[in-house]
Amino acid sequence: MAKIQKGKQNREAFIPTSSMSDIAFLLLLFFMVSTVFVQEKKFWVERDRWPRADTIERIPRNNTTTIYVMKDETILIDDVPTKIESEEDVMIANALIAKKEENPEIVVCFRTDRETKYGAMSDVMRQLQDAETLVVAFEAQKQH
Amino acid sequence: MKVGRKRKGKAEIPTASMSDIAFLLIVFFMATTKFDVKEGIKIVLPAAAPEGSQQAETIQLGEDKMTRLQIEADGTIAVNKEAPREIENHELDNIIMKKLQENNDMIFKVITDRDAEYSQMIRVVDRLKSQRAEKISLSTN
Repeated sequence: MAKIQKGKQNREAFIPTSSMSDIAFLLLLFFMVSTVFVQEKKFWVERDRWPRADTIERIPRNNTTTIYVMKDETILIDDVPTKIESEEDVMIANALIAKKEENPEIVVCFRTDRETKYGAMSDVMRQLQDAETLVVAFEAQKQH
Repeated sequence: MKVGRKRKGKAEIPTASMSDIAFLLIVFFMATTKFDVKEGIKIVLPAAAPEGSQQAETIQLGEDKMTRLQIEADGTIAVNKEAPREIENHELDNIIMKKLQENNDMIFKVITDRDAEYSQMIRVVDRLKSQRAEKISLSTN
């Protein structure tokens, strides 16, 4: 014989939320610990030092490598600062040849201070041609 | 005399709003974080000429096929054989547009002085791109 339930049980349904704060703080700590601030680098070209342009396009990050060219013509590739002293200097070309072997579709992004002399850029671009890394992007800020 | 009784109330720190605070902090960081986005002017450089072949493959192009935009160290621009002068963006747009109307396949050779500011070269290339000039050559003197 079936058991007949006695009335409805009026137990309150509740979701345990006591560990919610632990989860949230864990997430917060994770992001705080894993975030790397690029400004910590000694060499850096601030966004407001980039040149301004109208026709900028988005460049997918996965195939890019960035070369920083500072106002004092210091060039930073792979976090290694260098200066091009002579035409025989092929340090940048060598670094780019290695990168191109890893990824043939590499795009070289220039993050250059807008007041940098063009001569420094020209020297770097000559080395790019030597390394046959021909697709370049000049990073710029949208003109208002 | 009244003797005070010790109350044995349970000491508690309210933690119910702790998760709200934590999530608020997370939302704040998520909203204020700026990702390092790559935006710029994309250009494909010409391949370097093989050694010893530069002289043999030199082609002379007339003004009807190629326009020289020479950027001087002081930021002035010389169009073809004209004297260098200050050229504003809208005037530069007009010059480029006119040249493209003359010849849709016009090659623009941007010659930048080694001592000129990099932003000047970007300005000229930007104007060329905005007028949909396809053939842009970069060089220096």
